[in-house]
Amino acid sequence: MLILAVDSSTPVAGAALVEDHRVLIESFINYKKTHSETLLPTIDRIMKECDCSPADLDALALTVGPGSFTGLRIGMATVKGIAMAAHKPIVALSTLDTLAANAAGSDDLVGALLDARKNELYYGFYSMREQGPEALQEAMVGTPQAVVSQARELMAQGQRVILLGDGYYRYGAYFQQELQEQLKVMPGHLMLPRAAAAGILAVDKAGQGEFEDLYRLGPVYIRLSEAEYRLKKGEI
Amino acid sequence: MKDILILGIETSCDETAASVVKNGRHILSNVINSQVQIHAQFGGVVPEVASRQHIENIALVVDQAFADAGLEYQDIDAVAVTNEPGLVGALLVGLSFAKGLAWSLQRPLLAVNHLHGHIYANMLEHEDIKFPAVCLVVSGGHTSLLLMQDINHYQVLGATRDDAAGEAFDKVARFLGLGYPGGPAIQKAAQEGQAGKMKLPRVFLDRQDYEFSFSGLKTATMNMKKKLEKAGELQVCDLAAEFQQALIEVLVEKSLQAASRYGVESILMAGGVAANQELRSLMEQRTESRKIKVFCPSLSLCTDNAAMIAGMGYQQFIRNCYASLRLNAYPSLSSL
Repeated sequence: MLILAVDSSTPVAGAALVEDHRVLIESFINYKKTHSETLLPTIDRIMKECDCSPADLDALALTVGPGSFTGLRIGMATVKGIAMAAHKPIVALSTLDTLAANAAGSDDLVGALLDARKNELYYGFYSMREQGPEALQEAMVGTPQAVVSQARELMAQGQRVILLGDGYYRYGAYFQQELQEQLKVMPGHLMLPRAAAAGILAVDKAGQGEFEDLYRLGPVYIRLSEAEYRLKKGEI
Repeated sequence: MKDILILGIETSCDETAASVVKNGRHILSNVINSQVQIHAQFGGVVPEVASRQHIENIALVVDQAFADAGLEYQDIDAVAVTNEPGLVGALLVGLSFAKGLAWSLQRPLLAVNHLHGHIYANMLEHEDIKFPAVCLVVSGGHTSLLLMQDINHYQVLGATRDDAAGEAFDKVARFLGLGYPGGPAIQKAAQEGQAGKMKLPRVFLDRQDYEFSFSGLKTATMNMKKKLEKAGELQVCDLAAEFQQALIEVLVEKSLQAASRYGVESILMAGGVAANQELRSLMEQRTESRKIKVFCPSLSLCTDNAAMIAGMGYQQFIRNCYASLRLNAYPSLSSL
């Protein structure tokens, strides 16, 4: 099973080709250029490098959020365009699940954190299973304080907590101060979502026929837009 | 010669649109998914809400454009997409989808300026346009007067210094409590009222250049409303009619001045505000006695659509002006 995986939910533009549980090629760009400029040239490059055309793919995999609203849409629009023209199915992955997969094999509690701005984070807590990360709660948005109290609640006796994601970079000092020796941090190459991880997770989902409807698929924003929020509060 | 089929995609504001056009002239399909009802509850287009609608609708709209044209994806020769100007988040949805589609089909990508598209809408319906021509571009985001040598070459004679004409319509409509979108709302109210019962300024009409300004007219309308309200004499429909008249007289007179100065025989109108009935008829009326022919797209091609993007894309296709896969979206005008 050949899968092209795409992730543009954070400042990283990632793309990977995986064949069954083997990564053939991966591109990870965490540099200042915008996703709209880098994403498709990256896809083009890795596909050519592996002598693949869209017709060779069995499916496309995509991280659908949470994350940067615009980033999520760039990835999703790109993947929808490719998938529609090539008549290929799409597998959707949570960005937080994908991020948590970087801590595979750990016995500790895993917290995936993405910077949500406005002094908040998108986060999810996981315990790692053989078949991949298992979410212990719904993905949420909340303050660093909420993250710490969630972590304390979920940590079992003797367990530590691994925090990863660009949300950690932003509030690292606070988490260190609060969690001290209970905190574990991943090395830099595992701190941000990897398209290769999304591809590997997608292989199992695709195997189980978990595909999305191209015509209905939308990003998982978690947050309403500012205007919708104000409308709901009766301010508009 | 083989027919050239171009798919056009347009998501610069609050319409998700796709269309297939043959040889830059014949519209085979023209699908428009309007979000106007959704934005009406906010009193105007909300960029993030528009982008969220685009990403959910885009595949369905493009698919429908192929189905209506009776074509398979492989049948098209290129994908044309609006990449400027507009709401960046909204543009990026159409642009990214277009890139994915074009790359997947191994077809060239064509970058189209939204305003060039509006101007090109005239070419989709009229075969007898004589160049050089003067073109009045009036929309929610832009107001400018161009001197066109042909469909691909022109110079800007002047533009608005503040609000665009459509923007002034929206703001005044909101202020007068007429609702959103402002253009149709003011036009409707004006039909019930009468212009000239009070006097609003014809801004910049005394100047010899082709610059516009509508911010002052907007403020004058607001002040007039307050004054009339105080005196208990406010007739909203009359005020709407006078506002509309003051705005379109400037548009028409400046267009005529440019036409006579440059000796052109055609005046083109383009953009959403060109759908305004009073503007269309005043322009017709004022050119009748002169040897000038007025062209404007039919109402459905004045407002945002993708047929105009596919049409303009054809012009680039036949010149081999292909865009790179690095193409980005830009909010404001880099060239017009």
